[in-house]
Amino acid sequence: MPLLNEEIRREVAKFLEGIPRPVRLVMFTQEFECEYCADTRQLVEELAEISDRIVAEIYDFQADRAKAEELGIDKIPAIAVIGEQDYGVRFYGIPSGYEFTSLLYAIRYVSEGKTELSDATLKVLEGLTEPVHIQVFVTPTCPYCPQAVTLAHQMAVASPMVRADMVEATEFPHLAYKYQVMGVPRTVINEKVHIEGAVPESYMVAKLQEAVR
Amino acid sequence: METFRLTGGPSLGGPEVYDVVIIGGGPAGATAALYAARAGLKTLVIDKGLTAGAAGMAGQIVNFPGLGPISGADLVRRIREQATSFGAQFVTDRVLRVDLKSDPRQVWTGEGFYTGRVLIIATGAMGRKHRVPGEERLIGRGVSYCATCDGAFFRGQEVAVVGNTDEAVEEALTLTRFASQIHFLSPTRDLNAEPALVRELRENQKVTLYPAAHLEEVVGQERVEGVRARVGGEERLIPVAGVFIYLQGSAPVTDFLEDQLPLGEGGCLLVDENFQTAVPGVFAVGDVLCRHLKQAVVAAAEGAIAAIAADRYLRGRAQLRPDWSR
Repeated sequence: MPLLNEEIRREVAKFLEGIPRPVRLVMFTQEFECEYCADTRQLVEELAEISDRIVAEIYDFQADRAKAEELGIDKIPAIAVIGEQDYGVRFYGIPSGYEFTSLLYAIRYVSEGKTELSDATLKVLEGLTEPVHIQVFVTPTCPYCPQAVTLAHQMAVASPMVRADMVEATEFPHLAYKYQVMGVPRTVINEKVHIEGAVPESYMVAKLQEAVR
Repeated sequence: METFRLTGGPSLGGPEVYDVVIIGGGPAGATAALYAARAGLKTLVIDKGLTAGAAGMAGQIVNFPGLGPISGADLVRRIREQATSFGAQFVTDRVLRVDLKSDPRQVWTGEGFYTGRVLIIATGAMGRKHRVPGEERLIGRGVSYCATCDGAFFRGQEVAVVGNTDEAVEEALTLTRFASQIHFLSPTRDLNAEPALVRELRENQKVTLYPAAHLEEVVGQERVEGVRARVGGEERLIPVAGVFIYLQGSAPVTDFLEDQLPLGEGGCLLVDENFQTAVPGVFAVGDVLCRHLKQAVVAAAEGAIAAIAADRYLRGRAQLRPDWSR
């Protein structure tokens, strides 16, 4: 039974036709104790079926530990979206519901190796001298969340100093607890700066600067 | 697992371009749609629902010229039907974000993505001006404005919902899937929502209804611990882990613009005599405007003027564009 219906497949095929370079969806899974691993794997494989520009690479989180460490993967299910280079774009938890759109956008930005960020934002990102880790906590039923996720992922594509994760909060309750997530989107930058809600690009940039100050 | 949604965006889902996209379908927006559609413009109205705005909620309107006493919802419905008869399309959705700089202009909603050459903002003035004490400090700490987003964080816990609209009732019903008990605080004695929804709410075992309840404070140190409210003249402290707030007020609804248009005092929109904003091709009409006379007939008239100006703007642009086909 496919996860993506015919109509979505058609739209996705049309969208993927427009991307310039191949993208690898490097997925980490395991057979036990991971509720959405099987579905996430199937999603990645269906996307690879739809377009020959998408390559699905499946790894076992336990057996392929070295690969997981190389890509900085610390929880599953995980998808690393990798193009000509690894920009640090990650999805933890299944990108279902509204987050499916975030995944397609991530594929596009990674494929193109460029973003739609403003010149002002790009200038700030160019000036970064230390690493930035952005975690965006979401639920799949949140229409406001893809804006925050897509913004964070674009920052990762634009800057080698930035890596950005979507984290589906209900699949990682220990992280939701650790970061006190009671509402989404909640963005955590370098463990110390928090943003509630989907915010304009300029606001996110200001917060990012606060995190590296 | 949630089904996979494609909500679209630039180059995703390849949206058709409308001549005019109107945000808000009250007397101002629906009349703009009527005039735009009648002028042959491809017109879309995005609206939260028939009774979501000030007119749609009004019990009776007795001074709309040419009509006898009519309920606000009926008046709005009639204008919409007239607009639809000329080809205008209506979708029920909430606008999250717009990009006024792009060409065509882009509009993101909860369920989709739309583009229009001209944008008419007719969102009214039922936004909240003031938050209650404790509310802002506890956003993301139990204060939420989206039960579909955040309901899962309150599994097995008691929550409060504050409001009286369709949206408040629908969100409370969503919460019945997660929360153990829902304290529904309605600022009015009767709910301002669809009868079928109200019935469903009343019949749900998990819901306790507090009519004429005035929210005074969200209580809690690190996270929400309760709400303080005056219910029928009596002070009550209701212990809850979360509070979902859907109250309305009298502030212009402009938050979705982020900072793309200059705002007047109190967040209202400024326009010229053709109801055009500082961004050419972006118009605003109705109660969202500064110093506005809050009358349905005034809003409707402004909708007409803006639609005619929008038509001129689009035709002017068409003439400027070289036609290579000749």
